[in-house]
Amino acid sequence: MDRSVSVPTPRPPTPARGQRIALVDLLDRLLAGGVVITGDVTISIADVDLVRISLRAIIASIRPEMDRVLEEGDDVRDEPIQGVVVREDPRP
Amino acid sequence: MSAYRPRHEASKARDGDERRSHRLPGRLDTDAEQVQRDLMRLVLTVIELVRQLMERQALRRVESGDLSDDKVEELGLALMRLEEAMTELQERFDIDARDLNLDLGPLGPLLPPQ
Amino acid sequence: MTETGIYVYAVSRDLPPAAMEGVEGVGGAPVHLIEGRGLTAVVSPVSLGEFGEAALKRNLEDLGWLERTARAHHAVVDAAAAHAVTVPLGLATVYRSEDRARQSLGDRHEEFDQALSRITGRTEWGVKAYADLAATGGERGAQDRGDQEETSGARPGTSYLRRRSEQRQTEEEARHEVLVAADRIDDELCDLAATRRLHRPQDPQLSGERGWMILNAAYLVDDERADDFREAVVRLAGERPEIRLQLTGPWAPYSFATEEEAWTEV
Repeated sequence: MDRSVSVPTPRPPTPARGQRIALVDLLDRLLAGGVVITGDVTISIADVDLVRISLRAIIASIRPEMDRVLEEGDDVRDEPIQGVVVREDPRP
Repeated sequence: MSAYRPRHEASKARDGDERRSHRLPGRLDTDAEQVQRDLMRLVLTVIELVRQLMERQALRRVESGDLSDDKVEELGLALMRLEEAMTELQERFDIDARDLNLDLGPLGPLLPPQ
Repeated sequence: MTETGIYVYAVSRDLPPAAMEGVEGVGGAPVHLIEGRGLTAVVSPVSLGEFGEAALKRNLEDLGWLERTARAHHAVVDAAAAHAVTVPLGLATVYRSEDRARQSLGDRHEEFDQALSRITGRTEWGVKAYADLAATGGERGAQDRGDQEETSGARPGTSYLRRRSEQRQTEEEARHEVLVAADRIDDELCDLAATRRLHRPQDPQLSGERGWMILNAAYLVDDERADDFREAVVRLAGERPEIRLQLTGPWAPYSFATEEEAWTEV
């Protein structure tokens, strides 16, 4: 069998069971729109949270700005343009 | 490229479908050395993004034909040095180019797939 | 004493009650059936402290809770689908009382009838496709052209730009080609299916996959065509080394429970 495809062993159509199902595949079906892990990253040293970086916060707001920066006639392709926002962790 | 809209994008566009977002413990949290390495990865990803944007814009200007040959050469040399610097940084911090990407959930990956 | 609600997993037709005996739902509560207008809802009691609106919002963002609940939900749907045509519901459909659940079953009975017709004699299969662009010959081609350029005596910065421009073009073409291929795969599989739903590309942090996901689709296939469908997936997988396919299933028809803007005809 070709290595580039993984195919479950043929069997009569009884539903697949238990742990053999990947969570991500299950969630695609159970939750409209699936699931995403946020891009937030918390940087800490020795268990002391210091900084949280949230990349997505700025993305939506920066994008329209960047579109205006492009010169007239440029095709605006669907490539992401982002920046980084760094916030000090408010927790003590 | 044309206005081709691949099917893998199409399903993103459905209205009213909000993706559930989850906070995985995305922590860079061990000792000072490891933190430095992880931080570099983050920083290099952003630098790589900027480098790619600069390169793209530079190529557009060159293709538009309104730059003198000397200007084009100057631009080319600068970008070439930038790429060399990036490669060196990646080597120094033992970071694979493929590691330099970030998934931004509904917005897709930061850098285009390569 | 927290209030309880009724969690609904699925709606079936002609589900024998014995089939669900001993089956446990989320939180380990026993599952029971609610009948109405020829339909059977598979339900279990849940605490509103866990499944009430506010609590649910919180819990849905806890990946551990989500996994436990999703798997428990799926086990119930599975059990029902093994014995009768079953329309699976999405996660966390909760009513304040058994009466409300029964009421809803009646109110939505036409919708469920349509869904049951849509899925009878059919099974859902998932097909995911990943592209590995490094496997294409594109990069090497640009490199060769670049080497030729240097020997012709062009200035280094200018050569560099020319090389990069070609490389970008090659990469863009490779990306485009792969997306076109994904669409062709989808088209071929649609021909073997009654209908198809597209899912969003999966989060790599959840799936653990590093490749670029170019297709995430669910196909509703007539049971008699299941073998043909599987064979087609295997064949398509072998056609391009840069595209990797994954077939999942058979699934209870989660993706086809609702009427949706049709990409293909039912």
